[in-house]
Amino acid sequence: MNIFSEIYGTYFRIAAKLLENEVTDEKNVRETVQREGFRDSVLFLPQKLLPGEESWGLFSRMPDGTLRRITKKAPVKVLTRLQKMWLKAKLSDPRIRLFMDDENLAALEKRLGDIPPLYRREQFGITDRFKDSDDFYSEEYIRNFRTALEVVRKRRIVCVEFVSGRGRRMSGKFVLLKLEYSPKNDKFRVYCYLLRNDKVRGSGIINIGRISSITDTGRVFRTPVSMDEYFSSRKCSSPAVIRVTPARNGIERFMLEFASYEKHTVRDLETEEYTVELWYDTQDETELLIRLLSFGPVIEILGPPQLRSQAAERVRRQYELLCGNNEKNS
Amino acid sequence: MAGFSELIKNFDKTRDYVRDFFIYGCKVRSDFDRKSVRTYGDEKRRVESWMGDSMRYDDSVRGRSVSISVDSGHIPENPLYNAYYSKSFTDNDIRLHFLIMDILEDGGSRTLREITDILNADYGQLFDEQTVRNKLREYTDEGMVIAEKQGKTLYYSLSADRADDYVRDIAGLADALGFFSETPHFGIIGNSIMKMLGLKNELFFIKHNYMIHTLEDILVPEILEALNGKRYISFCTFSGRRKKTPDEPGRQNQTVPMQILVSVQTGRRYLAAYIPALKRFSAFRLDYMKNVKAGDICGEYDEIKEMYDRSKPRVFGVSFGMRRDTGAVAPMKITFFADEKREPYIIERLEREKRCCTLEKTGEDLYTLTADVFDPNELMHWAKTFIGRIVSIEGGADSVRQRFYSDIAKMNRMYGGDEDEHIQ
Repeated sequence: MNIFSEIYGTYFRIAAKLLENEVTDEKNVRETVQREGFRDSVLFLPQKLLPGEESWGLFSRMPDGTLRRITKKAPVKVLTRLQKMWLKAKLSDPRIRLFMDDENLAALEKRLGDIPPLYRREQFGITDRFKDSDDFYSEEYIRNFRTALEVVRKRRIVCVEFVSGRGRRMSGKFVLLKLEYSPKNDKFRVYCYLLRNDKVRGSGIINIGRISSITDTGRVFRTPVSMDEYFSSRKCSSPAVIRVTPARNGIERFMLEFASYEKHTVRDLETEEYTVELWYDTQDETELLIRLLSFGPVIEILGPPQLRSQAAERVRRQYELLCGNNEKNS
Repeated sequence: MAGFSELIKNFDKTRDYVRDFFIYGCKVRSDFDRKSVRTYGDEKRRVESWMGDSMRYDDSVRGRSVSISVDSGHIPENPLYNAYYSKSFTDNDIRLHFLIMDILEDGGSRTLREITDILNADYGQLFDEQTVRNKLREYTDEGMVIAEKQGKTLYYSLSADRADDYVRDIAGLADALGFFSETPHFGIIGNSIMKMLGLKNELFFIKHNYMIHTLEDILVPEILEALNGKRYISFCTFSGRRKKTPDEPGRQNQTVPMQILVSVQTGRRYLAAYIPALKRFSAFRLDYMKNVKAGDICGEYDEIKEMYDRSKPRVFGVSFGMRRDTGAVAPMKITFFADEKREPYIIERLEREKRCCTLEKTGEDLYTLTADVFDPNELMHWAKTFIGRIVSIEGGADSVRQRFYSDIAKMNRMYGGDEDEHIQ
């Protein structure tokens, strides 16, 4: 049992897809490889699928030029033991209840029978997750989550009442775009556009756990939505520019911690320092700032000015706090 | 580039390259002097093929640097899963795969001889019995084929568990697959089911998403096997700082595994393990591990696990410090300022993020965190997220406090403050 096995591989999958039909043709083979394969697969894979010297022999060429599969039936999609063990492990994850009711959970459990779970939850320890994770057992939460999921899928317009991050009660008409999950917060949020007279008036993010009611209006938001546009509308106008020094293994620590950001890095060969530009969601600026400050003097925030000045202000306050104490003690 | 293949035999080598492209960003070909120019070219070409538009190129006097730049919170599928879908195979492997599946598709049971004969008679494919037996054995291990003895003869049939039946019959499973295929642990396995069914995740994005973890998942099943069997585990570790020579065998470690520790904020995952030779616990980075092998059963496993469970409440992150056993350490007390009326969110943050520490109100707008932890250094990395609010630090090691004071003085100079007073 190994995840790194050809039975899950892209080439096997493309072959399986082509073998679904009794007869196919060269054009379909090339198009399928182009669509489903790696970027360069079209250079390597068609000659393996098409009859010829390099062929795997899965198709034979008919007199009319079409290709007939050598198998009798479409390939079956058998789950491997590893896949079933993974499903079994997920059965003990409370988040699965967001998707499946008791009856379906019981049905899945029954099908998996005596397959052992791939892992037990306690075999993984999360060291730094926040304590106020969403309550995935709450009936109200599950209900709101499922409604959100359904309206995202169908792009329906909804009326939502919720409490904002600053504790204010809010309500309005929204179109919900996608759901977001954060392993750090262990929370779900939903990306949305606020609507007035069915026109987009602003973008936002609502925590599922803060929703008190969500009502489907039954109407569909028909204007095409681009997630790229949504993300761009929330992105910083200029990136954070950070100087990272090699002290205390700073480069490795910094680059790994901020690996999830879109970034551009330049290395100074003389000093071995890196200058990193990070693009971030403006709503997350404070989170970014405090994470950067946690690196201490190993890094320096060079810009943009408002980010640097916030850092400078916090450092100045800290310096004064410690100096003040020093004076008191002396 | 003659001889290039999109498929790979050696996952470890790919892991090294992807990691360097992904994490460090601005390396040029000469930085990768661990192998030939061709190896670099081939690995780069594969990664380009998987990552598409996320590859970034920058020209400098040293040459063209290649990096991966992607906001992993804004993509529906982890592109690094492609590394797992690139395993090389032989012509016989793929032929036998589809033919055996076709022969057994009707649900019937057949002997090895019958299957070999059908391959020849019905499909015109001549295979020797040994080759077919090996493939059947392999697929039996994978759980796709069931082998049952009737008398002295083994009969083979296909497992009745079909992915399409599962998803059709169990409402909600497709959405659950979409979510779990992009989240820890082993999202790659969920993704393999999605791919089998032609499903795509169109509903979820994952914030704070460390996509690179998927490359370490290759090691984890062996670790789990050792955990389940209460076995020793051996592995090699190599240093991240000696990046030019990861082909060296690395340091051999013989340990008793306890738990896999995941940091959702720093992007690191570790194996927490007991080192019998040193009689202490330690945490090993998964991204610096190779050649993991589960070994013999550890007779003292339960006692060691008990000791681990007792120690864990004193671990703030993953560090067990340098101490040989559990015991008293000088608790550290950090007092924070938070305006109770105007800044309740700071107090909420302290409560939310304090982990194994305790928090108490110790004065007007003052909150003191007490940390009885093995390694106060780990605590200070987190405490620095509260820069501007730390009123005092007491206890813990002198060196840790002094480093904090000196860091603040340095930062004050860095950000343009005057340093005319001495803090300690």
